[in-house]
Amino acid sequence: MFELFKNLGTWLTSGGSWSGSDGIAHRLAEHLQYSLLATLVAAAIGLPLGLLIGHTGKGAFLAINLSSFGRALPTVGLVVLVFLAGGLSMLPVYVALVALAVPAIVTNTYAGMTAVDPDVKDAARGQGMRGHQVLFQVELPLALPLIMTGLRLALIQVVATATIAAYVSFGGLGRYVFDGLAQRDLVQVLGGAVLVAVVAVTLDLLLSTLQRLLSRHRAA
Amino acid sequence: MSIDWSWIGDHTDDLTSLTLSHLQAALTAVFFGLLISLPLAVVAHRIRPLRGFLLGVSNVLFTIPSIAIFVLLLPVSGLTRTTTVIGLTVYTLVVLLRNTVEGLDSVPARTKEAARAMGTRPLRTLLTVEFPLALPVIMAGVRIATVMSISLVSVATYIGDGGLGQLFTDGFQRDFPTPVIVGVVLTILLAVVADALLVALQYVLTPWRRRRA
Amino acid sequence: MNRRTLLGGLFAAASVPALSACASGITSLDSQGSASGGGGSSKGGLTIGTANFTENQVLGYLYAAVLKQAGVKVKVRPNLGTREIVIPALRGGDIDLLPEYQGALLNYLAPKDDSSEPGTMQNALTLAMPAGLQVLPYGQAADSDCFVVTRATARKYGLATLADLAKQNGRLVIGAAPEVKKRRVGALGLKDVYGVEFKEFRSLDSDGPLVKGALKKGDVDVANLFTTDTDIAAHDWVVLSDPKNLIPSQHIVPLIADRKADDTVRKALARLGNVLTTEQLTQLNSQVDNDKKDPEDVANAYAKQHGLA
Repeated sequence: MFELFKNLGTWLTSGGSWSGSDGIAHRLAEHLQYSLLATLVAAAIGLPLGLLIGHTGKGAFLAINLSSFGRALPTVGLVVLVFLAGGLSMLPVYVALVALAVPAIVTNTYAGMTAVDPDVKDAARGQGMRGHQVLFQVELPLALPLIMTGLRLALIQVVATATIAAYVSFGGLGRYVFDGLAQRDLVQVLGGAVLVAVVAVTLDLLLSTLQRLLSRHRAA
Repeated sequence: MSIDWSWIGDHTDDLTSLTLSHLQAALTAVFFGLLISLPLAVVAHRIRPLRGFLLGVSNVLFTIPSIAIFVLLLPVSGLTRTTTVIGLTVYTLVVLLRNTVEGLDSVPARTKEAARAMGTRPLRTLLTVEFPLALPVIMAGVRIATVMSISLVSVATYIGDGGLGQLFTDGFQRDFPTPVIVGVVLTILLAVVADALLVALQYVLTPWRRRRA
Repeated sequence: MNRRTLLGGLFAAASVPALSACASGITSLDSQGSASGGGGSSKGGLTIGTANFTENQVLGYLYAAVLKQAGVKVKVRPNLGTREIVIPALRGGDIDLLPEYQGALLNYLAPKDDSSEPGTMQNALTLAMPAGLQVLPYGQAADSDCFVVTRATARKYGLATLADLAKQNGRLVIGAAPEVKKRRVGALGLKDVYGVEFKEFRSLDSDGPLVKGALKKGDVDVANLFTTDTDIAAHDWVVLSDPKNLIPSQHIVPLIADRKADDTVRKALARLGNVLTTEQLTQLNSQVDNDKKDPEDVANAYAKQHGLA
């Protein structure tokens, strides 16, 4: 038991592991790049969608059930499918990651919007505010906490799943898991897994702390 | 990219057995997840200090990539269905634990006190009052865990199992989209049907909520 | 998240490896039931495992076809993974029989052995066998690893042999399955024997769509493929020759657990080994990869056609 731990410790702390194109620093950077870009794209799609459904009330069925559908989608299958259709590029990876992140963002944005007190919306309309003014000046600020939670959850999920880039030859921390599987090098596999977990947990802590600070600031 | 419909016609037997194998893996994982998470949730709910610990552990476990867990289990249980199920159970356990704790939390304190005032012992309260009231949230967890499990089974194709996931590696190796498309469609279908059945089950199990509506 | 959840997190980080590490001590359940060489029986049925590339699956189903004909109850578990994954499964009892390749298997079991002739290799293999496993006589068909470049690359850098690669040290990118990075018939051996150092090793797959796609696109300069792949000729790719015999002859050889090795199995597999030629195997692979036929159907058709089943 200590053998595996000891080797893992050695791997994580030796300078050689961190440098070079297969080094931890590089793979970490790749992994973060995939995750952030995918989440950004997912937000660009999911936020407007969630806001629209929440504001108009139409398409609520979609917002509620999109999560189930997204959860049912097998990422391996999706990656392979897009790869076969479009060739060897990062597209399959991004499609799968965005497909994973959009439901979380839409659902939470919608939940945030529906949590807004209808009386407040009525009051705003009573004051003469037009539709989009109500949306951006009243609903959105009030829904912000849940929207931010959605973004955070989506990012964490994406970070945990970005290992799929390795399925189609690309980088990121998944490379350690995949290569370790092929070489039956459990230290590498464990290293990759631990690094992904650490990145995900760290981001989660950072973002939730940020969220708390921001909400305290706004409340004051 | 086109579908070879004749391939589908020729392989209905294989597809059926893969689907059943896939379902079996997912459901077994949910079952064991429930078995372990229910008592664990009671502990987490009742013993404050352990609650943060248990939920924290499960949150971290959830971020470990599923393929890594499968591979790390290979020395434990080999290239077998057991490995797949253990790996899947880690994830169903996390989801079910979270939801069951949340469900138990949602039971109003007043209701528990009323039961206690009537002289009901803690275990009976748990079984006849708390769990039934927590059922909607627990069932939501079962739904999430089941759908997620059905999706995750395919990752096990990288360790020689995978149910419908084997269609993905097969199609990938031969540059053949048809099995991949069929695999994706069947997986989603399986999940949607399972989810619908669970909704129906929840409806049956919670008659008091029906009467209110 | 508070401190308790952080503590919980550390516990979680420890629990999964602890579980797997604890069991590493109890790795393989080597069947000590019989001394290597005899005493096994296939009466209870036999499970054939195959590695994660087309040809191995074709071979697995060929084995299944001839064994079924001989009355053995057979189950095939295809596409299990790399040799590094499948052989421990064989030792642990999850599978009983595996189609292997002489040279590659020898490199895996005895990396220092540099025999290159089939007869010598068979002896070396028998000596290197771990407890509980044995190799049956090798067949006439063979499939070797090869290192391949596009014709354009060959012209550009003047590449004809593996030795020529050393002249371009630090400039070329090689694409191969992840395990090849650490294999003698791979990046390690190329460095030891030919002094080749690549600019980058890209982990792709075993003669599959990733490595061939990368070669076509130019993402890699050198690709590790298998000699039975018809795509090499189809794309006019150049196989770099191997003057120092780094790549050993790789006749196909059944690797079986002692507990299942009996005369029925031996006879059936020997018949197959004597009939199947490299040419024929290449054609079978092509039917699976290019014509999209199932390995099982292709194998069964071949067996019937040649009076083996």
